[in-house]
Amino acid sequence: MVDDPPPVLGTWRRVYIFVVVYAACLIGAFYAFTVHFAP
Amino acid sequence: MSAADWAVLTAWLIFLVSYGLWRGRGSKTVNQYLLAGKTMPWYAMGLSIMATQASAITFISTTSQAYVDGMRFVQFYFGLPVAMVILSATAVPIFHRAKVYTAYEYLEQRFDAKTRALVTGVFLISRGLQCGLALSAPAIVLSVILGWPFRVTILIMGGLVVAYTTLGGIKAVTWADVQQMMVILVSLALALAIAVWRLPSDVSFFDAVRIAGAAGKLNAVDLHFDWNNQYNLWSGLIGGMFLALAYFGCDQSQVQRYLTGKSIAQSRLSLLFNAVGKIPVQFFILFLGAMVFVFFVFEQPPLLFQPVQLKQVQALPEYAGIQNQFDRAFEARQAAARRIKNASDAERPSAITEFRNAEQDMDTARGWARKRTGDDTNYIFLSFVTHYLPVGVVGLVIGVIFSAAMSAISGEINSLATVTVIDIYKRHFRKDAPDHHYLVASRLATAFWGIYAAGFAVLTKGFGALIVMVNQVGSLFYGGMLGVFILAFFVKRVGGTAAFIGVLAGEAAIFAAARFTNIAFLWYNVLGCLVVIAVALVVPAKARN
Repeated sequence: MVDDPPPVLGTWRRVYIFVVVYAACLIGAFYAFTVHFAP
Repeated sequence: MSAADWAVLTAWLIFLVSYGLWRGRGSKTVNQYLLAGKTMPWYAMGLSIMATQASAITFISTTSQAYVDGMRFVQFYFGLPVAMVILSATAVPIFHRAKVYTAYEYLEQRFDAKTRALVTGVFLISRGLQCGLALSAPAIVLSVILGWPFRVTILIMGGLVVAYTTLGGIKAVTWADVQQMMVILVSLALALAIAVWRLPSDVSFFDAVRIAGAAGKLNAVDLHFDWNNQYNLWSGLIGGMFLALAYFGCDQSQVQRYLTGKSIAQSRLSLLFNAVGKIPVQFFILFLGAMVFVFFVFEQPPLLFQPVQLKQVQALPEYAGIQNQFDRAFEARQAAARRIKNASDAERPSAITEFRNAEQDMDTARGWARKRTGDDTNYIFLSFVTHYLPVGVVGLVIGVIFSAAMSAISGEINSLATVTVIDIYKRHFRKDAPDHHYLVASRLATAFWGIYAAGFAVLTKGFGALIVMVNQVGSLFYGGMLGVFILAFFVKRVGGTAAFIGVLAGEAAIFAAARFTNIAFLWYNVLGCLVVIAVALVVPAKARN
């Protein structure tokens, strides 16, 4: 079965790095949200 | 519900089943029936994976959980993106190239028949029990809210699912899931908008968020590590990652979704879509629960959200006094909330203390009522929906909850049927029958598992403790399954017997941990997986190879 390249970012490796960095940023944003609204 | 709500609910269910059947038409071979002829685009698989996870009880409970406990449950999903990346790089290409129908078929290619049979058995037991629960738990809640007999609710939900899943196969399941997931998101957004819109005119959206924060409901991240606490950053990142690896890499109900992809790239994209979308969706659902909490700060909630339990409590002689205490505490909490909203930084701590004291008084009154009738947490969100949403939207949201239950069940019975036919019937009883024979067998197996789920749901209705136990069954088995797949993918020197012994040892370790320790269940997956790998590596070389 052919392993096609991803539609964006050129290689799968870059897509994976993007996803991990995105998740880290998301968790960071949630932490900031928690701290900001903490009682 | 009003006539308009019933019309919306009925129209939605008819549309859903008809659409699934229409998209699933023309499945003439086993490959088309079980793998959609490998034609699915990434977005359909991605939404279907998301819909299958969003079972109705998760949907009902998650919003209610945020109401009671805040948003910390979102951490459960923090390990999911990394798990999706790992699976996209490993499991997806391996399963596609192995040209398998089930994940367990690959285990025989890599190890031997006994390892495949063992893991197949583990899957059928755990998923078979959970399948019944996925139908019974929401049916109990919906039957109370709609005033239907429990068996009628089961019959309607089960009957609709069995119809489109049996006739249309995986294509019907996947395309019905796509519709369901989109309507779930739209209706949740509507519910959030209405919860905020119905707040008093002097309370803005930002005031509501501040009040939720002051009440401790916006606790999305907890950095404090504790083995016994399932919801903190570390259990979410590590335990959650192992759970997601097991669920998406070893559970046929998920693997089958991405095996329907028309290419490796499409299957990868479907998983990565979930890696990007799942956490924000969960955050949104929990945030809705927090906003429903704020809504009930300004609109008096009932003493109990479960209407039948409330009537029982109202018949008790102490009820009037307790209700009076509850009413006074509600007024005090509302006044404290307004103080929080308008307070300067210096006044804020005392306003929060006042709010919490009033909240505690309300909880004491609710605790008295719950002690006599049972927990009503799962009815909080549905109570809000049925009493405060506009006509038409109520029918839509109830329809969505039906859909969520149906999408979870359809995925499960479809995967159970696939494993029954491919890993048991074809492997052990009829190896060389014509394709049409297996197609008929697959349809019969699907109908069988659907009827089984309905029967299980009816029989276990009164066994609350059993339902709780069954809910934990998945976490008892995933670690062992994940361990054997990691061996299969990455440890070439391990053979079938070593893997088989490893799985047995891993399961023994998990059951021992569940029996003799208090560690949070998310850690079972890590423990079981590591024991499987360690034992497989230390068994004598003769067995290992």
